[in-house]
Amino acid sequence: MVFLKVDGIRKTFVGEHKEEITAISDLSFHCEEGEFLCIVGPTGCGKTTLLRLIAGLDKPSAGTISIDNRIIEGLNNDATLVFQQYSLFPWRNVINNIGFSLEMKHISRKNRYKEAQYYINLVGLKGFEKAYPYELSGGMQQRVAIARALAYNPKLLLLDEPFGALDERTRHRLQEELLALWQDQKKTVVFVTHNIDEALFLASRILVMRDRPGNIIEAITVNIPRPRDRRSKKFLDLHIGIREILERILTTNRK
Amino acid sequence: MISARLERQQMNLNWRSGIKLTNTIVLALIIPIIIVVIWEFFAVRLDNPALLPKVEAVIDRLAHPFTDLLNTGSYLRHIVISASRVILGFILAMLIGIPLGLLVGRYVLVHRLFSPIIEILRPLCPIAWIPFALVIFKTYTVAEIFGVRYTTSIFGHIQLGMLFVIFYGGFFPVFLNTVHGVKSVKNILIESALLLGADKNQLFRKVIVPSALPAILTGLRIGLGVSWMVIIAAEMLPGSDAGIGYLIMFSYELAEMDILIAGMMLIGAVGAMLSYVVKLIADQTSFWQAKER
Repeated sequence: MVFLKVDGIRKTFVGEHKEEITAISDLSFHCEEGEFLCIVGPTGCGKTTLLRLIAGLDKPSAGTISIDNRIIEGLNNDATLVFQQYSLFPWRNVINNIGFSLEMKHISRKNRYKEAQYYINLVGLKGFEKAYPYELSGGMQQRVAIARALAYNPKLLLLDEPFGALDERTRHRLQEELLALWQDQKKTVVFVTHNIDEALFLASRILVMRDRPGNIIEAITVNIPRPRDRRSKKFLDLHIGIREILERILTTNRK
Repeated sequence: MISARLERQQMNLNWRSGIKLTNTIVLALIIPIIIVVIWEFFAVRLDNPALLPKVEAVIDRLAHPFTDLLNTGSYLRHIVISASRVILGFILAMLIGIPLGLLVGRYVLVHRLFSPIIEILRPLCPIAWIPFALVIFKTYTVAEIFGVRYTTSIFGHIQLGMLFVIFYGGFFPVFLNTVHGVKSVKNILIESALLLGADKNQLFRKVIVPSALPAILTGLRIGLGVSWMVIIAAEMLPGSDAGIGYLIMFSYELAEMDILIAGMMLIGAVGAMLSYVVKLIADQTSFWQAKER
């Protein structure tokens, strides 16, 4: 069943010299319920713009985005977004950051803490309930951000290069944790990255974007059973395949 | 070998930080001691207490804060009167400055409505309003507007005109820092809150206000400092009957330099204390800001 439907969207910005810049042009794709969709593409191809449009933070200049056949107007209440930059509320400790959305729903403090505690345990931050964001490492902060997003219980979880600022070891560990959460929570995930390895490790399907203007040029279904071995032949073949597509984009654009 | 060297460096560092603390105290005391020595030297040479009293005469005044001075009351009484005026006037500045700052920072329309008039009034020194305030408010006190004409309570000494100039002096730092705090709220935090289901009201209370709080407290600290300076000036002008500013002006007229200098020192000390109290509150609530990158 089609869950998320992006239909012929275009997004233009007004540039510095009042010229019109087309960030995304005539982009369409579907996403099934429970799918882990990764979007890869070169820097500046409009990946983040696309995610912001799905979240309803920005409006498409043309085209529609719908969830369960309902067209999104204004903020998308079925989705929440985990940003690449650290986005925790610095004056709230871990448990109050994670419980933020529950507080917005006027859930009592006792029930809020009980539920937040569940997500704290889920992302392996037991013992850090009272810690403030500035006391946490980058990896821990992004774990809190993911737990905070999950506590909102969105149908659709959007992630914008959430592990982009982390070192490789931490990144790999968080990828494994995110996969476990996805299998456990059965959410639909749209994950934006420029890291092919990350996309291949996580995704059930990968959409490859080109830039100037941003559009999807290739959809690749990843049929490797999980947990995936980064050194397997299938993994490496797909890795080389996607790399070639991306290199082709860059060389055609340079001409 | 390497570890031994590291250990030596570590010891060196500990030793240095110990030195650093004593250094700080010693360095802080050098200039005041020099000033006191020079002061005492000239006081003894001049031998004229009406021009420059000896250090011990001033210390003696400071040691007796409850003793009546020149039939006007003690230091304590004058300070309590001045501080009451400042606190009441400053509460007014907070009550208007913070909400108005939040609105001006958040809503473009309110910003356009208020910012021209504020830009015109801001450079006008609060002291310049004193003659105007005397004409408008005469010497009416807070006690009088509540219908109590003769009273020994502190409110009988809080003149409306003084409240007005304190309000005026405290308002701008509070207001402007609040506006700045609201305008500097990170967009990513606003968007995160919206995507986590915050409505407009919750966004304001749960994100914008806490995020702007450190800036608001900075405004309070500066504003309270300005108010304290303004009240001293206001008390020196005609129409004043009490307060620490009045006391030092009266001491000047009677050539009581020791009372005057001790009064100045108390003004400085109370000002520093007010600033310190706000700083303590600020440190409690803004701990997260200093540590953020």
